[in-house]
Amino acid sequence: MTTERRIPFSTLLRVETRKLLDTRTSMIMTGILAAVALALVAGRGLFAGPADLNTLANTAGIAMGVLLPVLGILTVTGEWSHRTALTTFTLEPRRGRVLAAKCLPVLGAAVLACLAALLVAVPMTAVSAAVRGVEATWGLDPARLLGWTAVAVLSTAEGLAMGMLLLNAPAAIVIYLVRPMLWGFVTQLGPVGGTLAEWLDLNTASNALMDGNMGGGDAVRLAASVAVWVVIPMAVGVLRVLRRDVQ
Amino acid sequence: MIEFHRVTKTYNGAKALDEVSFAVPPGTVTGFLGPNGAGKSTAMRILAGLCRPTSGSATVLGRPYAELERPGYDVGTLLDAGAQHPGRSGREVLTLGAMMLGLPRSRVDEVLELVGLTGKEGRRAVGGYSLGMRQRLGIGHALLGQPRALVLDEPANGLDPQGIQWMRGLLRGLAGSGCAVLLSSHLLYEVEQVADRLVMIGGGRVLAQGTLAELGRGRSLEQTFLELTSHTDRSPA
Repeated sequence: MTTERRIPFSTLLRVETRKLLDTRTSMIMTGILAAVALALVAGRGLFAGPADLNTLANTAGIAMGVLLPVLGILTVTGEWSHRTALTTFTLEPRRGRVLAAKCLPVLGAAVLACLAALLVAVPMTAVSAAVRGVEATWGLDPARLLGWTAVAVLSTAEGLAMGMLLLNAPAAIVIYLVRPMLWGFVTQLGPVGGTLAEWLDLNTASNALMDGNMGGGDAVRLAASVAVWVVIPMAVGVLRVLRRDVQ
Repeated sequence: MIEFHRVTKTYNGAKALDEVSFAVPPGTVTGFLGPNGAGKSTAMRILAGLCRPTSGSATVLGRPYAELERPGYDVGTLLDAGAQHPGRSGREVLTLGAMMLGLPRSRVDEVLELVGLTGKEGRRAVGGYSLGMRQRLGIGHALLGQPRALVLDEPANGLDPQGIQWMRGLLRGLAGSGCAVLLSSHLLYEVEQVADRLVMIGGGRVLAQGTLAELGRGRSLEQTFLELTSHTDRSPA
């Protein structure tokens, strides 16, 4: 028969998106994500200032940048930790399609989260200006906005890649959260360490993108660290899922 | 129709399955019987495309599982009733399955009723289910697409006597309407009650197969089973 009888990819997308929200754990996760972002923005707007839309939106983005990759890790490892891969892959044996349907909604959520951060930042900018008695700065730098949205998407992709590579949520989350500390240590090892971090630490390499002013050198360094932390682990991880015996 | 053609599976040099061949004809319940660790689950997972055989092949309706476009309409599987997200409700598990098969939500209610789970039970998280309830849910999930073949791994585990009787009736009814049912168990008397045919497996090899009458000729099935599986016995000699 033809491919028409296959489960449409849009259906797989709907199913996998639904799985992001259909358990108590995932609802709590989403709730924490929203609450932390809100608290950070409110805290910074009320106590630290300035009443600047760009800065406040960016602050919300920091919370998302930490939590979205964790959501990514939980999404791609969930089928293995709960062994639901047994049912999912018997209904759709083409595992690559399932993986794609798992990754896209999480990456989409990263973009949405950035937009939501902006929406939260707007009233907070006004509140902050009123409370602190200063003039609000409403100017938005589109390059910066795009930049930090791209960084949020990249770090979410990194979480997905780590999750697929290790297929073990605790291990992937620990590596993801400990990594900045390790890079901090490497950077202190002198000029060699600093150069290593510039090229291979995704956080350091994406700073220019985050600020919205990327030069040619920045792009090359970013590409190198994306290859190391996103492309290669994801490729190996996908192969691993495709070939693995499901027990 | 389910067929295994000389399926061998090797894990680190040890043979979990050794040239396993047998068929499950339509309209029958075939019992897949063997002691724990005999290779029943491995064989069923190979059939469902979840594990790769080292050599040989398994087919459903004449095709390898991976080539079925929407396998849920051809073959229903229950491979491990415990493999469920504990936070998901029973109804949600069925809803996700129905979505993947493009079935209306009304099918979820039908299936819940068919497997004897109440609406209230369906709304509860699977983490709070007894093993028997999980088996009912798993059987329901397998039946969503009204498939022509059914593969159930130890479905009677954890079912109470009423549950076992219910399952017998259900499987006999399905076989009566032409479904090919493969059902594994390590308990002989359980299989005896419902199966037309038996495949006995031990140490990864098919030890005997045939109708109940053929296998039991002249002595009890239990004797046959124990004799055949004696080399995999764990008790001291």
